[in-house]
Amino acid sequence: MGATLAVHAEGLVKHYRSRAGVVEAVRGVDLMVEGGEVFGFLGPNGAGKSTTVRMLTTLLSITSGTARVAGVEVTHEPDAARRRIGVALQEAGLDPRQTGRELLVLQGRLFGLSTRDTSARAEELLELVELEEAADRQIKGYSGGMKRRLDLASALVHEPDVLFLDEPTTGLDPASRLTVWDELRRINRRGTTVFLTTQYLEEADQLCDRLAVIDGAAGSSGKGRPHSSRPSSASARERRATQRSTTCSSTRPDAAAAASPATSRRCRRDIRVGAGTARAP
Amino acid sequence: MTSAWALGQRALREASRTPEALLPTLFIPIFFLVVNTGQAGKIFPAASTSFLKGQGYGAFQLPTSLLLAASFGTAALFLVEDIEGGYFDKLRATPIPRTAIVLGRLIAELAKGLVIATALVLLALPFGISVASGPLGFVLLITLTALWSVVFVGFMQLIALKTRSAATNSGGLIFFPLLFLTPNFVPRDLLTRPMEVAATLNPVTYLMEALRSLILEDLVWSRILPGFAIVAALGAVMIVLNVRLIRQYD
Repeated sequence: MGATLAVHAEGLVKHYRSRAGVVEAVRGVDLMVEGGEVFGFLGPNGAGKSTTVRMLTTLLSITSGTARVAGVEVTHEPDAARRRIGVALQEAGLDPRQTGRELLVLQGRLFGLSTRDTSARAEELLELVELEEAADRQIKGYSGGMKRRLDLASALVHEPDVLFLDEPTTGLDPASRLTVWDELRRINRRGTTVFLTTQYLEEADQLCDRLAVIDGAAGSSGKGRPHSSRPSSASARERRATQRSTTCSSTRPDAAAAASPATSRRCRRDIRVGAGTARAP
Repeated sequence: MTSAWALGQRALREASRTPEALLPTLFIPIFFLVVNTGQAGKIFPAASTSFLKGQGYGAFQLPTSLLLAASFGTAALFLVEDIEGGYFDKLRATPIPRTAIVLGRLIAELAKGLVIATALVLLALPFGISVASGPLGFVLLITLTALWSVVFVGFMQLIALKTRSAATNSGGLIFFPLLFLTPNFVPRDLLTRPMEVAATLNPVTYLMEALRSLILEDLVWSRILPGFAIVAALGAVMIVLNVRLIRQYD
């Protein structure tokens, strides 16, 4: 079964060592994402969404559990996994002193594309994210939305099977957010599986075929420190929803319905919920 | 090596677009050369000071300025920027050897080191300083300085990888005293006893003496080779530690 899934994680756990002792950042996340879908991974700040993504994308070691991405075991074959995945993390990871085109060309070279192929691919991607006119300007002059689109493009240089996006629209204005959503739909239509973390239910509603909720509150009675700050009213609503979804768990759409009626209309079904734990560092 | 070279080219582009970061690398060593020579030049006249081998005191001071220039590498600070801005993770998400990420910046640093050392020596020539060891000596002088800049920056990169923050800047100050616990004003045998001991234990001393030998006398391999040996040994330690740290980076 695992071989046919775009992402298959079982019992993912991440512990950090800190001066205060061992911090449990993620506890026992199970995920199954099918090829070709847009999968939403929701949860409040500090719930462990980013940590989970970083483990799935080989950027963080896995304390225990297993993860396969595009059929490849990420711990044992990290380079093979990296060839199959694209990553755009919360901070648009760009070099401000390069031009957009230089950044994409370098990315292509690092993925082993020939000089000719990488130039053609850069051109194609610049067109896809509508940055042709800004292509030869240094990135430090780009707006937030342009940077985010370029970041998306750089994650696509090697035509990955699975694209991981960690809160791709956080900090963007509404217009830029809509543009990024359009890009994501286009990318998905081309056959790329999209794994998306977000705090925004509206975003999940707009984009995701299925979603999972990682519940930061679930582990508050476990080891580690409790949340150190109160959520804003908007995220409080989300948290109540995720707590309910954790209670429901399993495979029914109750959680999504509780979170947003629109979400339940759009999502085919909810999936089993990973029991991640939130730990404020 | 292809990946390391691609990343090296990127680091060179970065350097060419931040000339303001390169200017102190030239200005401060020249400033020290002028000031130190001006302050002590009369104490050590060329005609009656045997350790100057017939040249002016500026020739004796040039190695200090070369080593100072080699210690102004900006690679570690740009690495911190990459880490803080997220580009470092972007690179780690590519299927290149982790070592290429470290080596790319070091390759660029070698190229920058060669250019800066050449510029400094050429700027010194009109002031009566010459390279007594000839064209081969000139090449060795520039190469040794550039290699030291790579080693120095490599150790700074270690701090950057460990702290992942701007604390790298102050971390570099740990290495700075090593430049001055050397026979930088007079030869080692003229130092006070405590300073002589400190200088003898300090590996940078042998580097400085090798550079000085290349400027003041013909090729004297017994003084040149220890300098290259120090760079090779510290360079090997630096590479091993960098590779280990980046492989464990989580």
